[in-house]
Amino acid sequence: MPGLSFENYQRNQHLATSGFAVPKTTSTGTTIVGCKFDGGVVIAADTRATAGDIVADKNCEKLHCISSNIWCAGAGTAADTEMVTQIISSNIELHSLSTGRQPRVVTCLTMLKQHLFKYQGHIGAYLIVAGVDPTGPQLMSIHAHGSTDIGYYLSLGSGSMAAMAVLESKWKREMNKEEAMALCTEAIESGIWNDLGSGSNVDMCVMEVGKDSVLHRNYRTPNVRAQKERSYKFARGTTGILGQTVRNLVDVVEVPIANEEMEVDS
Amino acid sequence: MDIVLGITTKDAVIIATSKAAVRGISILKVTDDKTRQLSDNSLMAFTGEAGDTVQFAELIQANARLYSMRNGVDLSPTAISNFTRNELANALRSRKPFQVNVLIAGFDKKTNKSSLNWIDYLAANVSLPYAAHGYASYYTLSLLDRHHKKDMNLEEGLELLKACIAELQKRIPFDFKGVYVKIVDKDGVRDLDDIE
Amino acid sequence: MSNPQEINGGAAVAMVGKDCVAIACDLRMGSSALGVSNDFEKIFNYGNVYLGLTGLATDVLTLSDVFKFKTNLYKMREERAIEPQTFANLVSSTLYEKRFGPYFVGPIVAGINSVDNKPFICGFDLIGCIDFAKDFIVSGTASDQLYGMCESLWEPGLEADDLFETISQALLNGLDRDALSGWGAVVYIITKEKVVKRLLKTRQD
Repeated sequence: MPGLSFENYQRNQHLATSGFAVPKTTSTGTTIVGCKFDGGVVIAADTRATAGDIVADKNCEKLHCISSNIWCAGAGTAADTEMVTQIISSNIELHSLSTGRQPRVVTCLTMLKQHLFKYQGHIGAYLIVAGVDPTGPQLMSIHAHGSTDIGYYLSLGSGSMAAMAVLESKWKREMNKEEAMALCTEAIESGIWNDLGSGSNVDMCVMEVGKDSVLHRNYRTPNVRAQKERSYKFARGTTGILGQTVRNLVDVVEVPIANEEMEVDS
Repeated sequence: MDIVLGITTKDAVIIATSKAAVRGISILKVTDDKTRQLSDNSLMAFTGEAGDTVQFAELIQANARLYSMRNGVDLSPTAISNFTRNELANALRSRKPFQVNVLIAGFDKKTNKSSLNWIDYLAANVSLPYAAHGYASYYTLSLLDRHHKKDMNLEEGLELLKACIAELQKRIPFDFKGVYVKIVDKDGVRDLDDIE
Repeated sequence: MSNPQEINGGAAVAMVGKDCVAIACDLRMGSSALGVSNDFEKIFNYGNVYLGLTGLATDVLTLSDVFKFKTNLYKMREERAIEPQTFANLVSSTLYEKRFGPYFVGPIVAGINSVDNKPFICGFDLIGCIDFAKDFIVSGTASDQLYGMCESLWEPGLEADDLFETISQALLNGLDRDALSGWGAVVYIITKEKVVKRLLKTRQD
């Protein structure tokens, strides 16, 4: 990115040397997976975002749209996966406009890996990129340092081992769409239950040859919050107030009612 | 180790700064003035890293005066405070930041109000009724919190200052050689008799 | 003193209600354990958007000015005030611009979109990762406590007057368990018609 400013870097370096610790960023301590099937590819993710050991967001979105036919699942530093994905999305759109062709997953993969390699791992984005393009269904992954993999099934994030355990034991060649979706769901749920960094719901995106890709937001919701036993509403007037100011955003005008008789001097 | 105090009263601000210039375990000077006048009606008191303090104060002083000369009007105390904050904030992002904490006392002749701004080396700028930097704050803020009133007159303000100095002389484990006292009001900046 | 985001202290919270939003913050500004000011508001207004900024005081001041500048420019270019969603993306990109030398802040945004009249709140980490929430957002040195308070007190569909009590009690009781926050609090209740700002009676210890 040409726009990143390092203006505060020296200041913070100076602050760090005088005994200040580096603060926590939101991370998608995550489970993400992807799996190919006959005629398409599916990716899935959990929806928990964490800041240290606090759950910062219980239903965040880790599936990012790069173009209509390419989607990306992100793990690592949340801001990085979001921003890197947005920028590559813009560049892919420009690229496809200038070439007049549908964007390809490999192009996207190359742009991402060159960008991430340039930043030597400091941009903490770990991504699974998937999509259908003129060369067929594609499934690839990228690590923050810029290395890439290609596979029939992939998993990334803190819950990748839990998910991979499922994928390794249940994946088979020649799966149909439903089987692949079920496998990915089970892999993500394995992360949700067994990995502390992952939790809440399953998001899924299915990309099929010749069809529009479909995002299933909250495809599974195995952690719905139970109805509260009672309401904790406070009686109005509970909180003590020392002062109040009102800023009116609309003008209140009193209009006399039409059929009311007017007083007329006779 | 330096003492820098500020108290606002109804139409004046009182600034007190210790007279001792301390380096390591020695007192090098007993007539050190830790203030600079920035304009007709504003004064900066400062503490911090040895070389930085005077350099920084005089940088602000020179810029405030340059502005007055160019535009024929003085910057208001609020404007000077914001300018000072900006200088510190920009310095903070440089290779070697200014390690300076300041108080800016002023009297705005347009609004007829006195003001006191507390700014630390991180460039946090707060407008306060009374303020102190460094160790002195731990000894005096409780006294000021208890006795300060918004519409005090100058005499009451000076009484309060004397109580603060007495407390400092009793509790601080070294001799800071008394304080210089300055008043900022509508008539400008003037010295008062030192409190020993 | 080990974490820049915890030097000056302070906390903020935002909540969604029925056709209304609320945003609140404490008033303390300190230097570690020493309290410096009890009049340091952390909520800033840009048209119909309200921004809460906790964290390092110098960066709170810098960013509030930066957003004042950027929203003023936006207003001149677009000839309309900025919407909450747009402002959220402005905050995000402004913070991410400093990815490798961040401002030590925890911003939260609250407002009502003037096009569809829908309430909107969101929060950010210090490098601009947006947390869109349907319920509440917390920030600052009392964030752990506020998570607990909001998680138990908040419920959907609160009317403006009830939302005021809920957000106030969540903030007040959260602040009481944080040494670096407190010393007064303000609450903004934002509806389509008006914005009510209330100064709360709080403990002073």
